Amino acid sequence: MTTRLTRGLSVLLLAGLLALVGGVSAAGAADGGMLRLAHLSPDTPAVDVYVDSVDTPDTGIVLTGVPYGTVSDYESVPAGMYTVSMRAAGASATSAPVLSTTVTVAAGSAYTVAGVGEFAALGLAVISDDLTLPAPGQARARVVNAAATLAPADVSLADGTELAGGLAFAEQTDYVSVPGGTTTLQVSSGSAPGTDLPVDLASGSTYTVLLLDSDSGVEVRTVLDAAGPGVVPTGGVEAGGGGTAGTGTALPVALGGIAVLAVAGLLVTAGRRLPHRYAVAGRHSA
Amino acid sequence: MPRHAPHRRRTRRRPGLTALRWSLAVVAVLAGAVALLAPTGGTAEPAVSGSPPAPVVVTADQATSDTPTPVSVSVPSVDLTSSLVSIGVDPSGALVPPSDYAQAGWFSQGTAPGAVGPAVLAGHVDSRSGPAVFFRLEEIEPGARVLVGRSDGSTLTFEVTRVVEYPKTDFATAEVYGPTVDAQLRLITCGGEFDRTRRSYTDNIVVFARQV
Repeated sequence: MTTRLTRGLSVLLLAGLLALVGGVSAAGAADGGMLRLAHLSPDTPAVDVYVDSVDTPDTGIVLTGVPYGTVSDYESVPAGMYTVSMRAAGASATSAPVLSTTVTVAAGSAYTVAGVGEFAALGLAVISDDLTLPAPGQARARVVNAAATLAPADVSLADGTELAGGLAFAEQTDYVSVPGGTTTLQVSSGSAPGTDLPVDLASGSTYTVLLLDSDSGVEVRTVLDAAGPGVVPTGGVEAGGGGTAGTGTALPVALGGIAVLAVAGLLVTAGRRLPHRYAVAGRHSA
Repeated sequence: MPRHAPHRRRTRRRPGLTALRWSLAVVAVLAGAVALLAPTGGTAEPAVSGSPPAPVVVTADQATSDTPTPVSVSVPSVDLTSSLVSIGVDPSGALVPPSDYAQAGWFSQGTAPGAVGPAVLAGHVDSRSGPAVFFRLEEIEPGARVLVGRSDGSTLTFEVTRVVEYPKTDFATAEVYGPTVDAQLRLITCGGEFDRTRRSYTDNIVVFARQV
């Protein structure tokens, strides 16, 4: 009983703390953040990518032999600062990196760290991935232009929604809210004829439309960034009959109430720093 | 495809389209002539040089709907085990757990466990007479394992990241149901005080877990 009560209290305290930090740490306050890596430089050979925690040395992620066009899976990492370094594939881990940058990972947030641009002007871009809940029936999409041969790029949907207008190589757009469901991507460049591509953008999910150079032209890849339910339930869940909250007759409830008040009074007089507004809580108290 | 929005295309696109088609035809003829008359043969990129590259779809790595359905859930650390039935929302949009107090349910209009996104399971904490299937949910500790059996005979393992209690009046919809980049799981039941006049608990307890 005591352990249950303290556990219940700590859960409540945790909830209170979470409420305090509020919207700053949306999903996954205790979960750390999510990080994925991408190689988006068409003329750069395969690379090894190192992600090293600044706060906790010798912890991190290593991806080897990552070729152009790769978007890795997300990795869960503790919140904090990380160094992301790129080396030529097979280069010694202690050699000087071709490129490096730092990224600060916030709890509950997701990031894509991408090598972008031509090899001669290679850069590392840290792109935030939006995990907020799309409006009902809506998905979100953005465009990352990693195709040097399709610049500036225009991308729109069949209903006329513009995802990208005149998007330069090595640039990306912000997310745009779009109706969920099957639609058509219209991809073109300047006055050149466009190409229509069927695509399914599920309600509740977010996508990156990735433009890549390939041997046969431009490859358009729709990458799922994050997925949520297409239908989001409203409010909380009614999932209790009350059978363990007391016997249902007035007397035990009243006695329980008196007992709780008495305990609360004792705690107050004893100067204990328990949050007594919570002390009345719970099916376990009766 | 055009059939999805014919009215919009008719009003907005057609005049421009005709002009576009004509200009395309002219460009095609000119480009063809130039290509035929050009003195040097194409070298490195014959299919691409001289004209805009043709976009082609190679992959669309989206979550698929053929993820096996979940059939059971267990949390060994609190001796919780149940089969799973499909549950949904009522006309007001609220998630409704199975009417059978001993039974946990899976919100089948949402994410399937194992697919990217927050899969949602719900069950009662108690009946009118005693404990129900998710009675010990709030005892679950971060780090505990949640096992989900699936219709194809496979079992997925999730690790609990946190257990949070929300007032129903301020349920954290975005946090519980918001999009995730990996395969996650939510177990939901009631907690807090039982309001006898409304026959309802004041809070919800939500267990957050991530597939490992």
